[in-house]
Amino acid sequence: MNGLAAYVLRRLLLVPVILFVVSIVTFALGRYAPSDYVEIQAGPRARPETIERIREERGLNDPVYEQYIRYVGKALRGDFGQSVKYRGTDVQDVIFPRLWVTLQYNAVVMFLTFAIGIPVGTWAALRRGTWLDPLSIGAFVLVASVPVLVSVPLLQWLFAVKLGWLPTGGWHERDILGVKVGIFSAEAILPVLALTLVSVAGLARYMRAQVLDVLDQDFVRTARAKGLNEYPVITRHVVRNALLPIATLMGFELASLFTGSIILETLLGIPGIGLFAFESITSRDYDSIMAIVLLGALVFQLAMLLVDVAYGFIDPRIRLSAEGRT
Amino acid sequence: METRRLVLTLTGIGVVLIVVLGGLSIALLATGGGDGSSSAQNGSQTSPAATAQLPQRVAGELRLFGGDPISLDPACASDADSAAYIVELFSGLVSFDKDLKVIPDVAESWDTSGDGKVYTFHLRKNVEFHDGSRRVVADDFKFSMERAVNPDTQSTVGEVYLNDIVGVDDFIAGRAQEISGIKAINDDALEITIKDPIVYFLDKLTYPTAYVVDRREVGKSTCFQGADWTQHPNGTGPFKMKEFVLGQRIVLEANPQFYLDPKPSLSQITYLLSGGSPLVMYENDEIDISGVGVNDVERIRDPNEPLNKEYRTGANMSTDYIGFNTQEGPFNDQRIRKAFAMATDRDLVAKTVLMDILLPAKGVLPPGMPGYDQNLAGIPYDPEGAKALLEEAGGPDILKDVTLLTSGQGAAPSDALAAVTALWKQNLGVDIQIEQEELGIFLRDIDRGNFKMFSLGWIADYPDPQNFLEIKLHSQSPDNETKYSNSQVDQLLDSARTEGDQAKRISDYQEAEKLIVDDAPWVPLFYGQDSVLVKPYVKNFVNAPFVIPRMRYVTIER
Repeated sequence: MNGLAAYVLRRLLLVPVILFVVSIVTFALGRYAPSDYVEIQAGPRARPETIERIREERGLNDPVYEQYIRYVGKALRGDFGQSVKYRGTDVQDVIFPRLWVTLQYNAVVMFLTFAIGIPVGTWAALRRGTWLDPLSIGAFVLVASVPVLVSVPLLQWLFAVKLGWLPTGGWHERDILGVKVGIFSAEAILPVLALTLVSVAGLARYMRAQVLDVLDQDFVRTARAKGLNEYPVITRHVVRNALLPIATLMGFELASLFTGSIILETLLGIPGIGLFAFESITSRDYDSIMAIVLLGALVFQLAMLLVDVAYGFIDPRIRLSAEGRT
Repeated sequence: METRRLVLTLTGIGVVLIVVLGGLSIALLATGGGDGSSSAQNGSQTSPAATAQLPQRVAGELRLFGGDPISLDPACASDADSAAYIVELFSGLVSFDKDLKVIPDVAESWDTSGDGKVYTFHLRKNVEFHDGSRRVVADDFKFSMERAVNPDTQSTVGEVYLNDIVGVDDFIAGRAQEISGIKAINDDALEITIKDPIVYFLDKLTYPTAYVVDRREVGKSTCFQGADWTQHPNGTGPFKMKEFVLGQRIVLEANPQFYLDPKPSLSQITYLLSGGSPLVMYENDEIDISGVGVNDVERIRDPNEPLNKEYRTGANMSTDYIGFNTQEGPFNDQRIRKAFAMATDRDLVAKTVLMDILLPAKGVLPPGMPGYDQNLAGIPYDPEGAKALLEEAGGPDILKDVTLLTSGQGAAPSDALAAVTALWKQNLGVDIQIEQEELGIFLRDIDRGNFKMFSLGWIADYPDPQNFLEIKLHSQSPDNETKYSNSQVDQLLDSARTEGDQAKRISDYQEAEKLIVDDAPWVPLFYGQDSVLVKPYVKNFVNAPFVIPRMRYVTIER
């Protein structure tokens, strides 16, 4: 356990270093990109002299390293600047509501994906060799390979226009115990449906492969030879072992909870973080871009750390072989 | 085996904890800004809660698709999306009515001095800020206009709309502490002195930069810093801000104290800032008014289509054009510019590519604009003549490396533009490539003259020909990107600028337009037109050609 604590500590110490590197790269990319927000937002009537004066006053003409030092100095004091896409609004006030929107639908999608994908994948694996097998694989491949760009308009047409059951898009939050929650609104159904379809199919396919892999292992044959009923063999031995690599997958999913799908959010007009990231890049909303990227980098590192730590424990093959050597 | 189970369980708990705690803290952070007032307001609506539908419509509510405003500060807004909210929330001395006539607003009346340079505005005594705490006085206007022009405010439009006023230049340069041309004589009278007796000064005063703001709330905020107040602005306009959720919705409610007739009839306007395609939302009864794009217009125009009855068009005072760099080769040669104009079959493109959603343009001034000349011949389509003229001027070879600059984000250029270049290829034998640039860079290149030819549109700020002809084509105008210079045109524009006789003024502008069209610094392509669908229960919706306060006219009759 000592080794583990040291490992975690080392990884945690790396976090600020990586954030530092990421911040330099992001900052430089933003500032060296042609044009800036004053020019982009100035409007056709603005005088070039006025634009130049405002750029000067806002420090956009200073050397990039000076601007960077100024940014870091403020950020360390907790001031992450103000958005220019929503002019004069603190970056955190712009970003957190959007992150919250994305997190809500992503969390439900993640839950549904695992809740549906694992049983379905197992079920499909157990039907290997029957006529259902090609059918289910075909269905998984088909659904998993339809991009959101295609599936969303189809779902929109079916559920909103044709059947009139759901709104065509948007996002509506209501107060529940003082927290604005949007996931219980009808607007949330389409995005959850579209994303769940793709990821359930993907996970089911993966799960099926894992289960098939385990089914061929010696210990399953042993369990069966010992006269165990089929059900406990599947639940206790097959599924449990097939789940191990899936648990690792979950770590990656964790990190992606905080990243929105730009295409989905654009098509459905969901004010999430993906769409905002895209908009803030096109409108050169420097401080928002920085905050989004840094937050994303932080979450990703923590999730990866969790995966790496868990991985060593979870996978019995690694552990057992290690024990075998000592 | 035991440790593994323990670790698995712990990891599981960890994952759940991260999701729940992370989510909760983000949720709290996300809603922290909204503070008590908004949740108290929504309390009654949320109790039936979790019925998964859009919130119930309030009687007299209008639902619209809305653009995300960049800034709701009247001193700062330079985009139409922002201005559309500002004109409903705030108000100025004068405004446009639904027929685009300048009408008294906060100013009840005004006098003009004999030389046309001094305006004395008499303010209404019953105009209060939305919170009812204070009436609007002349000094509030002085404060608001000085704030819009003040360099510290960092507005890109303040001086553009207010620089006709005496003393603005000194104020901007820091040589004066105030704008000498704006005087609050007493609470009820404001005197504004302008440099030249321009007749469209009141038109320019309708722009939000001249609107009144509450000095107690704007404080030291600038166009880029500290704009929290714009989420609950204390304005004077026909509607008040009820709710503003960034990126999601803006809800305005009627201001019962509004001082002009008709007072707002709608109880509230909900602008949905999120959502997919407006037309689909309209068909699904989520919004009451929707624009119609070129891809849908054919279906909507079909008389058998139920939506056809809800379809209507209105003038939109804008002109799309190709501009040439008239100071550099090859387009410093009028014959070449003219050849391009002759080779452009606008009727064909408008009809087949744009489905008549825009109108083919012959001149600079769009329909609806005073001075618009229906009988203007323009430069008619003449492919043979175009080819001959180009041969005479040197032939297609001198246009080898010419590109057409346009703004875009990397998507395919507009079909109309592609069709225009195809016509040039067919009729002139020149292969003009379309080069896209991001908007900011594009505008900079246009400003600096880094182009041979470009494609752009111009939409009216106010219904006066000066807004097109002088601003875009006077040799001394900073917005004349083509650097077009014709002394005869300049003379006509200069005299029309301050001409008191309206008929003479219009005929001067029309004469100037004829000269311009023949010199062809522009190839006018299309006049704008608004195509919209309006639900039958929405009455008196004004299809305005530019942003004007228009929501107080709208009524809902079910």
